[in-house]
Amino acid sequence: MSKGIHYNEALSTYQPLRERPPGEENLPPEKLLRDFHPDFYANSVTTLKVGPNKGDKCHRQLAKLLQADARIDEADLAAAPVRETDVLVIGSGGAGCAAALVAAKAGARVMLATKLRLGDSNTVMAEGGIQASIERDDTPQAHLDDTLRAGHYHSDRKLVKRMVMDGPDVVRWLIQQGMQFDLDKFGDILLRRAGGTSANRVAYYRDYTGLEMMRVLRESVSNSNVEVLDYSPAVELLSDDIGHCAGAVIFSLKNCSYTLIKAKAVIMATGGIGRVHINQFPTSNHFGATGDGLVLAYRLGAKLRDVDSFQYHPSGLAYPQHLAGTLITEGVRSAGAYLLNGRGERFVDELKSRDHVSSAILRECTEGRGVRVNDDTVGVWLDTPGLELRNPGILNARFPKLVQLGRRCNTDLSASPLLIYPTLHYQNGGVVIDENACSSVPGLYCVGEVSGGIHGKNRIMGNALLEIISFGRRAGAHAAENSHRRGPKKISLEHISNLRRELTLANMPMALKGPMLFPECAKFEIDTDYDGLRKN
Amino acid sequence: MSNKTEKQVNVTIDGKAITAPADLSTIQALWYAGYPRVKGVGCLEGVCGSCRIMVRRAGTAEVTMELGCQTLIEEGMEVNFLVFPTPTHHTYDLSEINNSWEVQAHFSRIFPEADHCRHCSGCTTSCPKGISVEQGVELACKGRFREAGELFIECVMCNFCMTACPEFIAPNHVGIFARRVTAYFHTRPSNLINRLEKLRRGELQIME
Repeated sequence: MSKGIHYNEALSTYQPLRERPPGEENLPPEKLLRDFHPDFYANSVTTLKVGPNKGDKCHRQLAKLLQADARIDEADLAAAPVRETDVLVIGSGGAGCAAALVAAKAGARVMLATKLRLGDSNTVMAEGGIQASIERDDTPQAHLDDTLRAGHYHSDRKLVKRMVMDGPDVVRWLIQQGMQFDLDKFGDILLRRAGGTSANRVAYYRDYTGLEMMRVLRESVSNSNVEVLDYSPAVELLSDDIGHCAGAVIFSLKNCSYTLIKAKAVIMATGGIGRVHINQFPTSNHFGATGDGLVLAYRLGAKLRDVDSFQYHPSGLAYPQHLAGTLITEGVRSAGAYLLNGRGERFVDELKSRDHVSSAILRECTEGRGVRVNDDTVGVWLDTPGLELRNPGILNARFPKLVQLGRRCNTDLSASPLLIYPTLHYQNGGVVIDENACSSVPGLYCVGEVSGGIHGKNRIMGNALLEIISFGRRAGAHAAENSHRRGPKKISLEHISNLRRELTLANMPMALKGPMLFPECAKFEIDTDYDGLRKN
Repeated sequence: MSNKTEKQVNVTIDGKAITAPADLSTIQALWYAGYPRVKGVGCLEGVCGSCRIMVRRAGTAEVTMELGCQTLIEEGMEVNFLVFPTPTHHTYDLSEINNSWEVQAHFSRIFPEADHCRHCSGCTTSCPKGISVEQGVELACKGRFREAGELFIECVMCNFCMTACPEFIAPNHVGIFARRVTAYFHTRPSNLINRLEKLRRGELQIME
């Protein structure tokens, strides 16, 4: 990318100003997306050749993972111990913890297996807040309408309806777990506006909403009857003789051994896929976001949807390079920060939906109005000095995490702007679920980012934190209630044989093994500590 | 790539001599040098508390406790990763505290060691987030939970303070307890309560 205004030149001509005229939108929104949004990049989408979505469109990089060979087969498990539980939760972000807590409270025996440490997740990194229609003039109906519109009417309306009606009670439940929210002087919950919405509906705690939520839920889980298996990624699901989900195979990174966990219900809460770097974008995601749950569920026969649609958050840090992709909350734009191109001009309504704003940033960069550091790094300004001029003190009071980030970039945010570029943020689609988070495979629930249908083709700020708790609780309650009805089952890996047969018939390469578990950069596959996970 | 023009520095990480560009974090430097690193890596943004490292910088005897993803490598730096934090032995359930008058009594029962603080400041010194941990414990012992909790806003539960405490106080869990009881007993937003009541009465429906 050789076009753009050089960083030093752009920075030297930058002036902190209180007001700037709004940008002019000269393209119809649909055309802006088609021309610049990464979902529409040529050759990025392919057709799935095997599995329940055979014939459907899917992003090329995800398709490779979904159609990869399994890591294990029956022989690997010969001596593995077998344990039993009612409900097995896989993943310990907000969705997994909420599901585990509710299932345990309902009397079920619950195990929670997590790839790394309890609470290691994208939840802990969430900044903006959680949507719930609380304000007087707001309604669940408006929340539903905003969600459907922002998702370009690709959402499953039934799911969205459940989620928005759950909103206020989700906030109460979180307070009852001990989570704090930013309050006004009367103790009312403060709400801010998400891009592309019609009301102030996002409750938050500074720009640490996810951290506050996660440390409370982590503490709650640690103090419950839930048995936590940490450093224990799931490498395969187990099926019974009629193809229902019957548990999972987990691998302990602590003692390098497999355990088979027989469960009456499995709740998959493994999160998203950012660390696969879809379309080579930097990512705001956690180290463990490698799409494992999608791969495992798909292999067992769960239907997916919208797996060609991803969210690129407009404000990922672009420079310095070692911090590229780090998220800057939408809350900053919600509070009134402008986006400026290399000429110091606004070019988009900063509070449009995320796909729109990201596309506009990519347009500025492609058409030579971006700020260029070198061949790899280009972006636009996030005008924090202008925000501070209009609202003295707001950065320190509302955005402590951002101020810390500024310090690490050696940037005084009240004097200089930050260079930003869209960062891969969220998987819009996922496993098809119903109102109780049941997938199309009996016994398998999917909650949070791994599930699909709620956000359509684009998610609004705050709906992810709401979704994980809303559907996490639903899945936990339903799994606990129904686990009593299921008898003991025979467990097998029959579905892997089916997968291999299908892959062979479709002439697919079998070299790649999945799930991925860790990003390439961590070199997990050559780590001699984990010999047990490689085939002989 | 701008990395090629960057200054290279020599560091020792987990006993491995590594040469890497100066703008890398300790985790990135390990990966850059081709060493696997899976355990003790998390959000890479300094909020999950997984990547706990002990650091000694060139020319000093002092060992500091930091987060691996937030610490850039420097010439002559020695780094060791800590893994698998031990869970605390304290357990409690907020619902067993009947009302807010009893919080302090329950606190003394749940965290009996908190009163034994020797004021060694080990917890405060070891905190990678610069929290006044010891002061937080002291405030909690006096029943000033809201104030104590405010000190722990930036706490990422890395457990360094727990490791440092000779009295097994688990100061970070004291901090989170202080924050949780504040929300549990005192967050009563009228706008939320009003909305819940309207929903209960069925006044807010979604059109089919």
